[in-house]
Amino acid sequence: MNTEQYTREEDKEPMHHVIRLKRYEQPHEGYFEEFLREFQFRQRAELLKPSLSAMLMERLHSLVSEIRVPAMAYAGAAVLAIIAGTAIIRQEPQATSPRSYAASYSQTPVTIEKMQPVSLRIDTPPNASQHASQQFPPAFLLQARPATHESPLSF
Amino acid sequence: MSDEQEIAPNNDQELVSRTQGGDPSAFDELVIRYSPRVYGLVYHMTSNHEDTNDLLQDVFAKAYRSICNFQGKSSFYTWIHSIAVNMTINFLKKRNRRQHPSLNDPDSRIESDPDFIAATSNTDPTKEVSMHELQKKLNAAMQKLSHDHRVVVTMFDIQGMHHAEIAKILKISEGTVRSRLFYAHRLLQNSLHEFKRA
Repeated sequence: MNTEQYTREEDKEPMHHVIRLKRYEQPHEGYFEEFLREFQFRQRAELLKPSLSAMLMERLHSLVSEIRVPAMAYAGAAVLAIIAGTAIIRQEPQATSPRSYAASYSQTPVTIEKMQPVSLRIDTPPNASQHASQQFPPAFLLQARPATHESPLSF
Repeated sequence: MSDEQEIAPNNDQELVSRTQGGDPSAFDELVIRYSPRVYGLVYHMTSNHEDTNDLLQDVFAKAYRSICNFQGKSSFYTWIHSIAVNMTINFLKKRNRRQHPSLNDPDSRIESDPDFIAATSNTDPTKEVSMHELQKKLNAAMQKLSHDHRVVVTMFDIQGMHHAEIAKILKISEGTVRSRLFYAHRLLQNSLHEFKRA
């Protein structure tokens, strides 16, 4: 804004003359040099301030070092882990095809090639029947007859 | 009236490039160059020297952290003023009414300023006011303005910025700047009518 333009604005606004007197309110002499020094100091302090992640890593490192586990134990654990891992990887699967656990009901039929009549007759001595009839009533006595696979209609 | 031309923005770009390249002394140059103007902006918004000092540190720290993202689409002057305005308005919103003015003593040159002489030795000799009384009344009148009005009065009346510069910094139109100024001046006139020029 050039001076002429600025003067025109001033003329339009009477309060402008009073308000602009505030520009005389200035900080004490040497303030801006102090300000720069303070700014530089704060910037350096910020650079030195460790980040949260760096602090966490440091804490973790110190915690691990406090445990004092010998280096050989770490090496042994590492070797064991490698062996176990290799064994698991090399283990071949039992069957490549999917296993079926469905129950099978297919069963070969039982065939009887030649049926033989089975005699259920009980040979008893002659006096034995007499003895039996003496012991049991006649209704309970089965007649000894050969069993056949004939149809019941043959009766 | 504006200092932008005096500050040589081309040189600013060189200092910005050097800072982006990792030269902190170049940023120190920018701090030396802009801290008085940014101080004025923040101080007249807050009316508190201590708050201004803290805010000014934060403004330049933020600018330093973000300077890698500064692409030169606007001048460094506009950019640093935008940061200062945003941070100051955010601060004022948080501070709300908890304000304790901490004013700097006016420079002794004020006593020879014709505007000061006209304002303090009014046509009515019974209404003569001292420098500190005038300062208090100006400050009280400024604090009555909303943040949006106060910032345009600070930039235009106190710091002597162009309407266009203010519009660019505040990311509003020039028309809005003018209407805010008009409204703010009317409010100030009500508070400071006794100092109005005859």
